[in-house]
Amino acid sequence: MAERGFVSKTTLLIRKDLLVETRARDTLPPMLAFCLTVALLLAFSLPGSTVMSDAVDLPVGTIALADVIAGFLWITILFAGLIGFARTFEVERTEGALDALLLVPLDRSGLFAAKALSNFAYIVIVQLVLVPVFALFFSLDLGVDWLVLAGVIALVDIGFVSIGTLFASLAAQTRSRELILPVLALPALVPVFIAAVELTSDLFMGGGLEAVAARGWFGVLLVFDLVFATVGALAFEFAID
Amino acid sequence: MSEASWRSSQSCVELRGLTVSYGSTIALRQVELTLYDGVTGLFGPNGAGKSTLLRVLSGLLRPSGGSALLFGEEIRSSNESIRRKIGYVSHDSGLYARLSVVENLTLFANLYGVTAVRVDEVLDQLDMNEWRSTQVGALSAGLKRRVAVARAVLHEPDVLLLDEPYANLDDDASERVSATILSWRAPGRVAVIATHGAKRVKAFADSGIIIQRGNVISYRRRTSTGYEVAT
Repeated sequence: MAERGFVSKTTLLIRKDLLVETRARDTLPPMLAFCLTVALLLAFSLPGSTVMSDAVDLPVGTIALADVIAGFLWITILFAGLIGFARTFEVERTEGALDALLLVPLDRSGLFAAKALSNFAYIVIVQLVLVPVFALFFSLDLGVDWLVLAGVIALVDIGFVSIGTLFASLAAQTRSRELILPVLALPALVPVFIAAVELTSDLFMGGGLEAVAARGWFGVLLVFDLVFATVGALAFEFAID
Repeated sequence: MSEASWRSSQSCVELRGLTVSYGSTIALRQVELTLYDGVTGLFGPNGAGKSTLLRVLSGLLRPSGGSALLFGEEIRSSNESIRRKIGYVSHDSGLYARLSVVENLTLFANLYGVTAVRVDEVLDQLDMNEWRSTQVGALSAGLKRRVAVARAVLHEPDVLLLDEPYANLDDDASERVSATILSWRAPGRVAVIATHGAKRVKAFADSGIIIQRGNVISYRRRTSTGYEVAT
């Protein structure tokens, strides 16, 4: 049998992670439960009848509701993601499979890509549930700008999972990994999430693609994605070893 | 090659001044060894440094000092060509609890470029066909051990490192594991089997190392007339 290539082996590992998750269900359910709980609490604590267009007319110095909702949306995703990332290597820890995995003839960047893409899948599933719930609770109506929001979310997710997976591999070597991961990852995630909130807020205020493209945060997000995806793939070897 | 005609001769592993310390605890102290092809038993009490030595040989643990060479190359798990040559079973099974026996072996077979026929072969060798569709998490400790050995020999590695492969095994299963190791054995291949129960491994080992508190206190190789002291 001819040996599989990098992409094929990486795909095998992603399929393995997703198959294990469909059976164990110990990563996605806590992420989703956290998101839905937060969304429900926010629905009661924020003025639910206020539509986004009203927020634009608020006087200077008043916090616009769009900013608040964008902030809460991304904070919810951030902490849900950290719940999931902390479990990145749990599937390997149960029976000590990490040693076996580290010995397979696949470049470490392939292991990183597999873990990062599995995390990416979890985050996207969470967002597919959470964003419509936010839209429902807070009367978000973006029209065609939903596509722009999807693009912003995808860009944020690339940086988010790259950083989260890299630091999860470091934290996996420690006893208190659930506590270590946020300490390591949050400082690095701050720029990504500031960009996310700023861009999402623009969209919620009706700015559309032009407003998003004109903001410097868009560039910040692109640079961070590029840097952290590259650093993650290269540094993973040292982190996991 | 039959068991009786086996004579190990090719130098495979060289350890020079190998030292491993965990903080202030020294697990291995200036170990000097040359391992030849064939089966080497690694004996010693708990905490002697057997598992640490196996982890160094697997490349998963970097030594604090000295060097470890495998076929002339430095042993590092980051070296893909070295990784391909190694089959390793640690204290854990090294398997995925939520995947079945055959799913686990097929996953590793695909990663190593091994055919499904070989998966069936090792399952037969270790008499695990009955449990092929059972999730590993539901297996007993002894059955997990057998699947772990199956995973380690699946890609027919040149270096087989087994840490207590007979733990939790009944006599019949132990015989199967021994038979699997013997059928894997070939010129140019080296196996190191760590165990604190020496009897089973002594029966077929080509050499034996006794290690105590991180020091190698005895290393003997089997010859046609008996055992000779090795270095």
